[in-house]
Amino acid sequence: MLDAFSRSVVSADAKTAPVGGSDLAGLRSYVRDGNKRLDAVNAITSNASCIVSDAVTGMICENTGLIQAGGNCYPNRRMAACLRDGEIVLRYISYALLAGDASVLDDRCLNGLKETYIALGVPTQSAGRAVAIMKASATALIGETNSPASGGKRFRKMETTQGDCAALVAEAGAYFDRVVGAIS
Amino acid sequence: MKSVVTTVVTAADAAGRFPSQNDLEAVQGNIQRAAARLEAAEKLAAGLDAVTREAGDACFSKYSYLKQAGEAGDSQVKVDKCYRDLGHYMRLINYCLVVGGTGPLDEWGIAGAREVYRSLSLPTGPYVEALTYTRDRACAPRDMSPQALNEFKSYLDYLINALS
Repeated sequence: MLDAFSRSVVSADAKTAPVGGSDLAGLRSYVRDGNKRLDAVNAITSNASCIVSDAVTGMICENTGLIQAGGNCYPNRRMAACLRDGEIVLRYISYALLAGDASVLDDRCLNGLKETYIALGVPTQSAGRAVAIMKASATALIGETNSPASGGKRFRKMETTQGDCAALVAEAGAYFDRVVGAIS
Repeated sequence: MKSVVTTVVTAADAAGRFPSQNDLEAVQGNIQRAAARLEAAEKLAAGLDAVTREAGDACFSKYSYLKQAGEAGDSQVKVDKCYRDLGHYMRLINYCLVVGGTGPLDEWGIAGAREVYRSLSLPTGPYVEALTYTRDRACAPRDMSPQALNEFKSYLDYLINALS
């Protein structure tokens, strides 16, 4: 497992070169935006159960066959497995966001996930849709772009210092896209 | 590669929980010290060749018998390899400064070093001398800021202790 710092070290070691100059610029931005990053991780972890249940609910609303007899979220046992998987995926994304590197997500979550889902008969298209909804709500919470209109009764705004966190929203979005890409 | 963030993530993953406030605080503490570390890494990377040369020169001037026939540095090839090794150690210290932990030195420098030096009948004393020279030669604010120098010297001391 690597983080943003050890990633630059490993790639520098492959060239037998010290880490300096332009490599350090990227790390300095990680350090400079460190508090933003921690707030972003906090935005995900504090709302994890809401993000996950909302995504699975949305997935089912769009395809109600999933909870009818014979569907992949029927009975409760399989619905529970679905919620659990959503939380696991979100958890590894929160690790990747904290580390600033996707290796923990790749190594510990995505490697072999598609094959597992195919073997278990999990519809990867539906799973991908749930992850896409998680991406929408998580990025809205990180960027504080969620509105009462889209959030409804569950509307929540993280009370953090206002600032530009477009880079972190894009980074978090890329991790969600990575999951969708890995299972579809 | 072991660092504060990977340690925190590994522990959270083993417990199957999201990163907690404690985890975030630990990462925050690491980030606060990062500016000095990165400054030291940058200065060391910029002067890596000069630092390596000075350290090697110091070691060969103190242990001049090393260049006599039958000793560890009796040909230019062997002398060059000594400088190369010192360069590797400096580079690994640069990596440690970037990561904020001793992971790179442990995994790529120290693990197995004792066995290698013994089987090649190389003395580790001259390496210690070279690294000690570097540690005592570096000074603030000429080379880097005091806090950065402190970080740099702590990794040099770590390596000196491992080789002694």
